[in-house]
Amino acid sequence: MQGRALAPMIWIFALCMIALCMTLPARKVSGQNAAAQTHARLYDPYPPGILPSDLNAEIERVRRELRVLEGRALERWYGLQPPILTGQPPTLQNTGTEAIETLGELMNYDQNISPNKNRACSFCHMPYAAFSGPIPSVNLTMIAYPGTVHFRAGKRTAQRYTYSPFFPVLQYNRVQGLFFGGNFFDSRSTGYLLRNPDAEQAQHPPVDTGEMGFPDTACIAFRLSQAEYRPLFEQVWGKGLFDIKFPPETERICDTPGGAATFAGSATPIPLTPEDRTRSNIVFDRWGQSIDAYEQSLQVSAFSSKFDTFLKGSYKLTADEMTGLKLFDGKGNCNSCHLDGRGTTLKRGQTDTGAAATVNPLFTCFGSANEGLPLNPRDAIYYQTTPDSYGFTANPYGFGYRDLGLGAFLRSAFGSAPNPNASWTQYATSTDGQMQVTTARNVAMTPPQCPTTEAPGPYFQKEFFHNGYIKSLKQLVHFYNTRDKYKYNVTSGHCPAGTTEKVDCWPMPEVRNNIDMTTGNLGLTDKEEDQIVAFLLTLTDGYTRPYPNSDTYTGTCMTGGSAKTQGNESLIPTPKLPACATAICGVEPVPNPIP
Amino acid sequence: MPIQRLVIKLVMAVAASGVLRSVPAATQVSAAKEKAALVRITQGPEIERADPEFAIVRWTSNNPGGSPEHYGVVRYGTDPTKLDQTAKSPIRLNPAHSYTVFRVRLDGLKPATTYYYKVEATEANGKSDRMPSPVRQFTTPR
Repeated sequence: MQGRALAPMIWIFALCMIALCMTLPARKVSGQNAAAQTHARLYDPYPPGILPSDLNAEIERVRRELRVLEGRALERWYGLQPPILTGQPPTLQNTGTEAIETLGELMNYDQNISPNKNRACSFCHMPYAAFSGPIPSVNLTMIAYPGTVHFRAGKRTAQRYTYSPFFPVLQYNRVQGLFFGGNFFDSRSTGYLLRNPDAEQAQHPPVDTGEMGFPDTACIAFRLSQAEYRPLFEQVWGKGLFDIKFPPETERICDTPGGAATFAGSATPIPLTPEDRTRSNIVFDRWGQSIDAYEQSLQVSAFSSKFDTFLKGSYKLTADEMTGLKLFDGKGNCNSCHLDGRGTTLKRGQTDTGAAATVNPLFTCFGSANEGLPLNPRDAIYYQTTPDSYGFTANPYGFGYRDLGLGAFLRSAFGSAPNPNASWTQYATSTDGQMQVTTARNVAMTPPQCPTTEAPGPYFQKEFFHNGYIKSLKQLVHFYNTRDKYKYNVTSGHCPAGTTEKVDCWPMPEVRNNIDMTTGNLGLTDKEEDQIVAFLLTLTDGYTRPYPNSDTYTGTCMTGGSAKTQGNESLIPTPKLPACATAICGVEPVPNPIP
Repeated sequence: MPIQRLVIKLVMAVAASGVLRSVPAATQVSAAKEKAALVRITQGPEIERADPEFAIVRWTSNNPGGSPEHYGVVRYGTDPTKLDQTAKSPIRLNPAHSYTVFRVRLDGLKPATTYYYKVEATEANGKSDRMPSPVRQFTTPR
């Protein structure tokens, strides 16, 4: 009796289990390795107050948002029309563009592309911030984002993706005596191999020890070979690239962050045959190119701002916006580097009726400049001076680190990447301190519910320039306007009594070499500064149509205070600075003077 | 086996060549302004600020044209007949402007010292704008 009664229950149980299994996805795109950080001790070399108190909660918040974005990308993939491969060269007729853009989108939000399966590219670059840093408290404090190992971090702010694909291959123009192009603040992603700096840029963070942190580029091929969207990869790039005999230890190696002592400095700890290594390298290139396709698409570089509508002739700038534009082109001289494509120079009382020289101006000259930013002592890089549990030390030089930007790259010095062109090295001294001139487009983009970057808000706290020293657009314009007028021979946190840092006291530059003197004492009034800010707001995409995925922010807005002193409550005194480390300032040709 | 390897390498090379593609021609270097026939200082040179160990020299000229990147150059010294020190700072020309403001930082000065100086400007490659300059002087504060 008893057995007869149990039989139907066993069947029901079995059917339930089968149904449950069917509801589970074959394999989530991004892993949920919640216990990843328990594998290693937390790395916390920071003095109290350097890491923001809400850091763990904010990390998890961004990871939740990433899963939403990943879900949308999957839906987009599922909705693609069937491919038709035709012609010579073979082309995915009608569907190819969207296919490669969607592939890049899937890759961008895939948290499996990190040893602990907890970081995607977009972790530091979320759409609602124009693909820059998504955590207000990080932007306010440590400025660099925590990577796959908690809490290793980088050294600079997360640069916006928008319009980065339009930068040309890094070149030295002999006639003009200048470098143009590349990606990253120090232009170290030159595009010399792929002929596309943005695609090469996308190759760096997955193997950057402070970011996604794989120990070997072959880990990208390994994890992509397991990805749910592998069929899309093979549809776009062809089959066969994943025919790689990964040895059994690959999983263990790829689960271990780069820089671990166990790798003894090897960049290729996964033993592959030369042929498999080549295949893996090709997959790595395809990774970069796919992400570039996404970043160049209207999903990211949208050309949908108020200013674009103005150029088309169907939007009339308000009085403040127009005055701001005139100042941007005139007294502020901003468009000497942030080229706006205008064909005319306006005089007082004139209306801009000239035809645009360029109808899709990118608001950059693709050059580099040293704007003389003070050293930001909150930058996480200064504190990572001791080994983590893997035996890796990000910065053995502490405050002996100096960010020489392009100059450091040209020397292949500590903190940058190998320079592939020896003929460029001679220009290191004339480029020390220079950082790439970022496009001004989308500098003001924030999540819709926090509609501004500026206090009192409600605002979304961003960070500006390479080291995040500047916290509002008002401060940014005020810095250009008064850097030399209010220059003090002090470091940050030590402005004299009676002055206010960032208002009427600017600390000394971190690198005083090659400081750009186009700006620094522009003579703008307080109102004129505000009008330039008003103009900058017209460069935010999403005016003509909603900016894709900008609705995904689930954090909070900040309120109160003034844009002039925004973030000043987080200032800390810069310690006495030791000499610049030999690994940076001792590399030929040595900087003159040594910062 | 060597032939097989050769075939594999050939296939990989062909595949790799497909990787290469160009970025859209997007070079947006600011248009160079035609080189001015005559460059003249219209204001200055003068001292924008002088600290005990630091000064900024400032002057305005008609737009010299040429390469967008220019250097303002200050020759200076404590002897008016021997301006044996040089400071130079980069500035970016605005092709649409009729005038150009040059500003140059002088670091490492001595307090309470009189300096003599004259100015010039060059294109990025060092070619002079031929901008005649008077010799002026200033004294750093104590």
